[in-house]
Amino acid sequence: MLKSVVITGCGIVSALGLRREELFNRLLAGESAVREMPGWTLPGAAGPLLTAPCALSQETIRSIDRKLRRSMAPVALFAALAAKNAAAESGLDESFLASGYVGCAIGSTLGSPHAIAQAFQILTQQGLEALPAQQFFQSVAHTAAFNVANCLGLRGQTLAPCSACASGLQAIGVAYDQIRLGRQTAMLAGGADEATPAVAGTFEQLFALAHPADDTPAAQAQRPFDEHRTGLTVGEGAGIFMLEEKEHALARGAKILMEIRGYATNASGSQTSQSDATAIRSCLESALADAALKPSEIDYINAHATGTRQGDTAEATALRQIFGANTPVSSLKGQLGHSLGASGAIELAATLEMARRHTLLPTANLTQVAEDCAGLDHLLEARTATPHFIVKDCFAFGGINAVLVGEIKS
Amino acid sequence: MTRQDIIKLVNDVFTEQFELEPEKLTQEKNLFEDLGLDSLDIVDLMVELHKTFGVALRQNEKIRRVHTLGDVYDFLEHYAAEHPEQIHEPEK
Repeated sequence: MLKSVVITGCGIVSALGLRREELFNRLLAGESAVREMPGWTLPGAAGPLLTAPCALSQETIRSIDRKLRRSMAPVALFAALAAKNAAAESGLDESFLASGYVGCAIGSTLGSPHAIAQAFQILTQQGLEALPAQQFFQSVAHTAAFNVANCLGLRGQTLAPCSACASGLQAIGVAYDQIRLGRQTAMLAGGADEATPAVAGTFEQLFALAHPADDTPAAQAQRPFDEHRTGLTVGEGAGIFMLEEKEHALARGAKILMEIRGYATNASGSQTSQSDATAIRSCLESALADAALKPSEIDYINAHATGTRQGDTAEATALRQIFGANTPVSSLKGQLGHSLGASGAIELAATLEMARRHTLLPTANLTQVAEDCAGLDHLLEARTATPHFIVKDCFAFGGINAVLVGEIKS
Repeated sequence: MTRQDIIKLVNDVFTEQFELEPEKLTQEKNLFEDLGLDSLDIVDLMVELHKTFGVALRQNEKIRRVHTLGDVYDFLEHYAAEHPEQIHEPEK
């Protein structure tokens, strides 16, 4: 008998705030984090490499002890800060966190691209004498996961799904499965990623980076589902949730934010860089089947939509085939940029707040719905509604898809 | 380079790299028990001293016998005396 799984805590580090209330307020106010970064240039790029950075104060950074922090590049620091807040909100105490019944699953695209680039630069230009002891630990693919485990004293499973932009949602799915199977009682799960010129350059190389017209502000560069979309901007941050076995949470009187009703992940089996509408549709259908819900029962879809020509078309096609124009849809990436492996979790956190505030946030910069993205109930402005069942989807390089179905509880 | 120059530069490494209060940095302090460093910090200490003084330390046997902050000052003072040409002069 599979166990039920709920979310009892949530923490974020986003380009628009470190609390989901602040994130929601700033999104609702139309604020965008997308900007030009001084020094972010690459030879051959068509224009500025726009990004949506997370600015952390020294006080926030130093809230984590030096010996824990020294192995953290930004990706792990973001994850640790978010995880601490998620754990605090859950109310689970230190002894339970250290009991072995609690683990974590934190995904990222490739660990820390900043630390990896720095390591190669030091080794090739200066040699071993100049290589800090922590460089490897800051770099590795599971850096966010093991740093979160150490930061909170977790002794359970420590997992690090790596699937680029689906990493965070896959991590939540992995944790969901472990708790469903009874292997863990609770898990901190989500995603983290950091923005660097090299990461932006990867998208630029594929002509997937947004380059707005000359007179368009950076804040309007990323335009999910829009006729004039030109690509994405690279964001960063972390979103971490405390997933907990439902009976355990109820027995201790915990506040339940959401029940995870269904989850699915699949691959197209063919694509490297492009999304596949058929595979996305299959993934959505599998997640709905896992949740035992019909498409008509879903009250809101928080879309992956990054503002790329092909990706948005594929997602809109799949959503249209399943939901038609009956379910409100929006993407938050026009204001947050694409925070890659963190995006699924940060955007799910914003969705929780939308439900609490009875307001669905719109897709920023969507002024003219593209013909190939039409036929959906696009949220062009904020709408008063209290979603009960929600869908969050994420799609990644390698043809990987992930879909989560949630039942909002508070 | 004077001993005072060395003390200042070494203490700068300890305050910046290991986030220690300057008033804690007295020469009798044991690096591990009093200042809280561990084996990974010692690797970073060697990296930072290399950066600051230009001294290659990884293969130096004497650095492995350092226990107190005063030992670090002494090591660098002796090294500067024996190999003045290898030591970076501090920026004035």
